[in-house]
Amino acid sequence: MSIQRISLGTVGALAAGAIVAAGVSSSTVLSLLTQAIVYAVFATGVGLLLRQNGRASFGHALFFGCSGYAVGIMLQLKLMPAEAAIAVTLAGMAVIAFAMGLVIVRVPGIAFGMLTLAIGQMFYVTASRARGLTGGADGMNVQWPATLFGVTQSQLLKPATMFLVCWATLVGVLLLLTLLLRSRFGSITEAVRDNEERARFIGIRTLVPRAAVYALSATVAGLAGVLSALNTGFVSPENLHWSLSGVALMMVVVGGYKALWGPALGAVVYFLAKDILGDYANHWMAIFGVALITVIVFSPTGIAGVLERLVKRKGATPTAKAPVGH
Amino acid sequence: MLTINLFNGLVYGALLVVMCSGLALIYGLRRVVNFAHGSLYMLGAYLGYSMASYSNFWVALVAVPTVMALLGVLLDRYGFRLLQDRDPLSVVLVTFGLLLVIEDFVQTVWGKSNLSLSAPAALNVSVDLFGTAVPAYRIAVIGVGALVALGLSLWLRYSKVGLFVRAASTDPTTTAMQGVNTDALSAGVVGLGTALAGLAGVVAAPFLSLSPSMSSDVIIDSFVVVVIGGLGSLAGAFVAAMVLGMIQALGAVYLPAVAGLLPFVLMVAVLIWKPAGFAGSRT
Repeated sequence: MSIQRISLGTVGALAAGAIVAAGVSSSTVLSLLTQAIVYAVFATGVGLLLRQNGRASFGHALFFGCSGYAVGIMLQLKLMPAEAAIAVTLAGMAVIAFAMGLVIVRVPGIAFGMLTLAIGQMFYVTASRARGLTGGADGMNVQWPATLFGVTQSQLLKPATMFLVCWATLVGVLLLLTLLLRSRFGSITEAVRDNEERARFIGIRTLVPRAAVYALSATVAGLAGVLSALNTGFVSPENLHWSLSGVALMMVVVGGYKALWGPALGAVVYFLAKDILGDYANHWMAIFGVALITVIVFSPTGIAGVLERLVKRKGATPTAKAPVGH
Repeated sequence: MLTINLFNGLVYGALLVVMCSGLALIYGLRRVVNFAHGSLYMLGAYLGYSMASYSNFWVALVAVPTVMALLGVLLDRYGFRLLQDRDPLSVVLVTFGLLLVIEDFVQTVWGKSNLSLSAPAALNVSVDLFGTAVPAYRIAVIGVGALVALGLSLWLRYSKVGLFVRAASTDPTTTAMQGVNTDALSAGVVGLGTALAGLAGVVAAPFLSLSPSMSSDVIIDSFVVVVIGGLGSLAGAFVAAMVLGMIQALGAVYLPAVAGLLPFVLMVAVLIWKPAGFAGSRT
């Protein structure tokens, strides 16, 4: 992708978000979309790990939940202003995940998934029990200050503003990741993912790039956790539970992880489908279970893969008559 | 006090032995980490509950594993066999999808409230063990765990089919070239593994309450066991299951604040030290 197309896409996406925020008057729809976008950021983090590292994490709710708790606890203890708390949390997630990554990315394939599941559950259990600090199983309210980044709380809590904040964050994350993955870092991580041994033969240190991807994906998941705490004003152990990690992974696969924007699409589809299902939503587990199996069996590249193929086919028809030249 | 705790550790360890031998067998032949194994266990428990209410517990003890075995054969024939050339991650995700479907099915049929099943009358008595009164049913659970461990070990070690299973676990392609029908073998082994999950469910029903969260509790412990023991290794799983059962039971009494963390700490420590687990040589 050229720089022009990237900037065009970014501007287009931001404009589309503004149109949605201005055009949708129903606050229920807007808050549904906001929730979807928060999870879209989360799924982007999980998808990044799968895309650049070939590893599926069954425990990314760890970073989603922990960053919400970290911000909440720092605000409760009045350690620092909220803006600093957010920055410290994200930096902390990156450092901790990098250190963790150095250890756990060495674990082969499927065992990695089981290990992330276990570590995630460990924190879930701890957070549910540590009543003093986290409020235990009841969760805790996050005490946001009256103004955040110069925006008053009453302004921020309007559904349209909240939607725009989350949407802009998602677009920003996707933009930064696109730019980062165009660089040498992107090529290195792909080489390591495809064949670690060969990558080592040509002189690439493989452990650090793997851990870096893990840290990056954890930070994005942490960012989603902060957004969720901002959106709901509440953190509970449910934010750490493994079923949340599982749902995120489901969004990634259904949306399609080969494209950077696929997981985000998966998240939006997930929330819209859950809303449309209405009364049947009691059976969402079975419905999404079947959807997950169907996607993996019939279209391993997910919805994004199908869309990309459709676009390519359309684009290919007119040029088919032109002389073949690549 | 210590006696009863050690005893309860043995009981939970025995249950994990039955669970994890199924998980390890399926991994051995199909290289699939079955995320739905805990849900199959839950399905077994609820089926056992219904069958025991209609007839009696002993019928359920035989009928449920039989039904689950059939389900396992179908799962292999129309699931794992068709997906055997896919990358392992896809298959894991398919089992995750299956987990969601089974959980939903169980909640729809039996509801979300806790159910309980009483132990069969013959075993609903207390037995004196080293001066402590323990339920006879729990002794029987330990017996089931020991029988499964012994039976599987003897079967794999001394029977011809057991030899085929061991061969196919090491190298399915070469085994198939030697004239072993590995597809039929896998169907049988996945059937057996699923039947063991069902058996674990029926056995667990009278001493653990039946609830929608029973599957995730046991599957996470089972994963810890098979990862510590080494994926696909039965002997490793047996040892790790007993160790974990003990840790769970003793930790809950002596270190209640961190009891929930102990299995995971153990798992993380083992994996850092030996990434393939105690008995695992292959990945």
